[in-house]
Amino acid sequence: MAVATPTTTPIPRPVLDHIHPEPTGFIRKYIFSIDHKIIAYQYFITAGLFFVIAGLLAEMIRIDLLKHTGVLTPNVYNQVYSVHGSMMVWLVIIPFVSGAFGNFVMPLQIGARDVAFPWLNLAAFWMFPPAGLILLASFAFGAPDAGWTEYPPISLQAPFGTSMWCIAIFLIGISSTLTGINFLVTIFKMRAPGMTFTRMPLFVWASAATAGLNMVATTALAAALLALFLERQFGVPFYNPTKGGSPILWQHMFWFYSHPAVYIMILPAFGIISEVLPTFSRKPIFGYKMIAFSSVAIALLGFMVWAHHMFTSGMAPWLQLPFMIITMLIAIPTGIKIFSWMATLWGGSIEFSPACLFALGFLITFTLGGVTGFFLAAVPADLHEHGTYFVVGHIHYVLYGGSVFGIYAGLYYWWPKMTGRMMNERLGQWHAWVTFVAFNCTFLPMHWLGLLGMPRRVAMYDVEFEFWNQVVSICSFFLAASTLMIMGNMLWSFKNGKKAGPNPWGARTLEWMISSPPPYYNFKKVPAVLAAPYDFGNPLPYIGLDAEPGAVEATPQSTTGLVHAH
Amino acid sequence: MAHQVAKTKVSLGPGFWLVTAGILIASAIMSYFVYASGWPIGLPQIAEPAPEIDSLFKFLGAVGGTIFNIVTGYIIYFAIVFRRKKSDPPDAIGVQVHDNPVLEFWWTVIPTVLVVILAIFSTVIWSSLQNTAGDVLTMEAIGHQYYFSFRYPKLANPVNNEMHVPVNVPVTLHVTSAEPGEPPVDHGFWVPEVRLKADMVPGLINTLRFTPTQIGGPYRIICTEFCGALHGTMRATFYIDSQKDFDKWFAKQGGTGGAASGGAAGASSGIALAGGTAAAGATLFAAKCSACHATDAFSDKKVGPGLGKIFADPGHPKLVDSSAPTPDDAALIMKKGFTGDIGQMPDATTNQISDGDIANLVAYLVSLSKK
Amino acid sequence: MTTAAVEHGHGPGDEHDHDDGHEEVIYRETTDMRLLGFVLFLCSDVVLFSAFIFAYLYLRGTVDEWPPILNGHQLPRLDLPFAEFNSIVLFGSGVTMHHALENWKHGKVGRFDFFMGFTIVLGVMFLGGQGYEYSHAAIGGWSGSIFGASFFTLTGMHGFHVFCGVVYLAILWWQTKQKHYDQTHYFGLTAGTLYWHFVDVIWVALFFLFYIF
Repeated sequence: MAVATPTTTPIPRPVLDHIHPEPTGFIRKYIFSIDHKIIAYQYFITAGLFFVIAGLLAEMIRIDLLKHTGVLTPNVYNQVYSVHGSMMVWLVIIPFVSGAFGNFVMPLQIGARDVAFPWLNLAAFWMFPPAGLILLASFAFGAPDAGWTEYPPISLQAPFGTSMWCIAIFLIGISSTLTGINFLVTIFKMRAPGMTFTRMPLFVWASAATAGLNMVATTALAAALLALFLERQFGVPFYNPTKGGSPILWQHMFWFYSHPAVYIMILPAFGIISEVLPTFSRKPIFGYKMIAFSSVAIALLGFMVWAHHMFTSGMAPWLQLPFMIITMLIAIPTGIKIFSWMATLWGGSIEFSPACLFALGFLITFTLGGVTGFFLAAVPADLHEHGTYFVVGHIHYVLYGGSVFGIYAGLYYWWPKMTGRMMNERLGQWHAWVTFVAFNCTFLPMHWLGLLGMPRRVAMYDVEFEFWNQVVSICSFFLAASTLMIMGNMLWSFKNGKKAGPNPWGARTLEWMISSPPPYYNFKKVPAVLAAPYDFGNPLPYIGLDAEPGAVEATPQSTTGLVHAH
Repeated sequence: MAHQVAKTKVSLGPGFWLVTAGILIASAIMSYFVYASGWPIGLPQIAEPAPEIDSLFKFLGAVGGTIFNIVTGYIIYFAIVFRRKKSDPPDAIGVQVHDNPVLEFWWTVIPTVLVVILAIFSTVIWSSLQNTAGDVLTMEAIGHQYYFSFRYPKLANPVNNEMHVPVNVPVTLHVTSAEPGEPPVDHGFWVPEVRLKADMVPGLINTLRFTPTQIGGPYRIICTEFCGALHGTMRATFYIDSQKDFDKWFAKQGGTGGAASGGAAGASSGIALAGGTAAAGATLFAAKCSACHATDAFSDKKVGPGLGKIFADPGHPKLVDSSAPTPDDAALIMKKGFTGDIGQMPDATTNQISDGDIANLVAYLVSLSKK
Repeated sequence: MTTAAVEHGHGPGDEHDHDDGHEEVIYRETTDMRLLGFVLFLCSDVVLFSAFIFAYLYLRGTVDEWPPILNGHQLPRLDLPFAEFNSIVLFGSGVTMHHALENWKHGKVGRFDFFMGFTIVLGVMFLGGQGYEYSHAAIGGWSGSIFGASFFTLTGMHGFHVFCGVVYLAILWWQTKQKHYDQTHYFGLTAGTLYWHFVDVIWVALFFLFYIF
């Protein structure tokens, strides 16, 4: 396929040509930086730390469930599982996919120098560590213990730690909303000349859909949390039925945000898969337009399904039908993505880098999570499954087998770009296999535990389930240990990893056209974009790129023009 | 373009159709297994909606499992067949194809059709659930921290921890949550062998309908909404008895016969209500009752519930029978007193009201409900 | 397309070398971005109010009578005439804000000052009116009933937004005194006007939902 001749006159983007002087001083450079890349590293480190803490809480859960009578006292267990869930959703996955990957990758992929509002970006980040500290500090005041969903009336009666939870999540919610606004404006207004929407990398499409969700849905959660806080602290009746309130009102308000939240958590992971698979199959992403539009479709449909979490709550039966049907409909754009990714693999020249292995694992585990999601969408089936370990199995297949696998894939993929170092490939491949096997052994049995009668959120359970709970717990220890493999690999890369050139994977999106790590200003000259990025074997579709001296020249005349820095 | 080594022959891949056949055969075998066994829920089906709910599970299992097989099977196949080999040049690339409208059309249409079929199947089962028989025995289950109690018609006191129903009798089960003294929390009511579940929300009545079909027990009633420290142990036992055994058990609880035989026999207050006057009743109410009862909606609680609309509200909570309470029911409560989860009301002797007073009070309450 | 436009030769640290046309384009583009960002922020704020409005309507749907019954008596409706007056105050301030911005655009700073001041005064009057309404509304207090819960929380959030708006407008007015804006560069005033109109629109909804419906 020949180089596309430029058919559009690129709009001059003088604002994009602005390069501010580099900040001086340790504080301005690394602590209160407005550089989206530094902010991204800060998100990575903070979310990574919270991932370890929340993971240790998960291991406490599994230790407790080794015995059917429990190991921890129930009151402690309930706080542990609730903080585990709250942390993983709000302090780990959303900050990773949006704050970390979104901040680092998206501006580079659109050829921008930074995001639209760098100071807002800084402010949004600095709400994140305090929110986490407040949530963790709640253990000293009686941590929230009614799950990450904190249903009233019981959450109205809990000690002060639940109010701290309200404050913490409210704070991280403001951060998410501001980031969503920031990213949307960046993507709409700061793309390099010639980068039409249909030439954007798919991770950018995913970031745009996610930013829209972040921006619109999060304030609904803020409202729910504010009402809960006001009722707990000042007795203002919203949810307490003895004062005229309604517990179901909380469920509506909470889930109106929290269902889009799961799409916030998965859409960027979808975007990462869409970047990783073409690169390691050495062929274009299959069905680009459908993948892009399906991201938007999933985001929109995601607003219309929240009450599928409430089928047993006593909502009007006729209302169950539309929520069931629209939930089932989401399977269609999701299926289109899965098939497109499979077709991307077909006919490829597949290289099993760790990123690629995690992407392949994602396809399998996320599909299984999607299938069990369909089981939950069907109301008559949900009546049996709701509130059981079937749901716990489902959510971990889509959140761990989906989002976390996507995060791992992205980490292996963009690590050289962020740090200028390669990770150990063998260790990374082992990590992928160990994680995949341990993950499935941990979470697959949960589906049957649920169907056979084990409810969720229990510190103790019926003795007949003890054997499989022990299997799950032991496998979870392996899963937890596998995290050490990537942590060790990161440390190894700093000591022994080969220095990475600009483009160790031979990829074709803009972030790979600059040095690793990128200079603080990203692009010396903002390139003009001539075509979509995925046509391997063709010249790069960019002109005006100014590469760092010593790096590989990316000129229109080179073919792949790239060196594999293995 | 000297370096690119694109695949020159665009074939689907060696053995593609063999693998496809293998995936489909494996899915067919799996589906057979799904239908032939108790999979995926290997629990007995002890009540009426269970078999049709299980049929939905099996259909979902067969279709979902097939889709999973297709995705996983092809991914493994592609990963093996299209892997980069050591013999490939370092800048080998794959087939540079962007899309295939025909393929994309079919892989959109076929899943859409599948989703529609599944949606229709689910809706059919759902609608059959809405029409499940009930109402021959109407009873209540109430969640507390951390036990269940059950209220039967014509049984003054609730039964704790054990629920009995007679076989082949359609049951309507109203569930809620209540807590004498303490503010109540959510609970859940689930019998896995029945496949039905409802949340027990304070202030709300949720309803399940089923017909037990198989004598047996003890089965488990399990709480499925987090309710506090001992949520994991909140259980009750569930028995399906023959009609005779049920009547025996019911009598032992202090119930007079006819609770679930559809008969109308039950306790009566024995008071002649015809002579009561509303005006006298109003004066009596102000003197004797208004300390504890308001005259508005049932939910308008002072000490006891509001009494303004009790005869006009058939979905009257806290009365077990789903039919509207009769004046005689009210008279019975005034005469005998009431002990239940919403509290305790002294009987007529303690309250110092005569049968004639009761007749007047009932007339007053009837007049209120007419407003 | 030539590559000249992108190879204009800008490098780090030379942002002081622009000519006026360049500066203008930069200003236009950043204003575009800031306007979009501000509008998106207002959209997310609308969702905040919408969520509480949903809560109000949902709770209202759980009772047979509105206003609801508290302790055996039905609560009174709110004082419509006073709220009508206070609403006119607020909507009036939207009109004056509009005139303020128009006068600024046409360089009539004196008239701008008049209308801006009038807007702020009307905003403060509205807040005072709300204070009066709060002290006289006999609906069981904030924590007494779902009526108080929804009314005081929703109008309280709105009042908080009005208060922030008054402060914001005062800061903008002070900035005009510092010659921060001119007739072609006045994004802050545009944003302030947008925010003030947003506050008005929310009040339309709340007024209807609590005083009419």
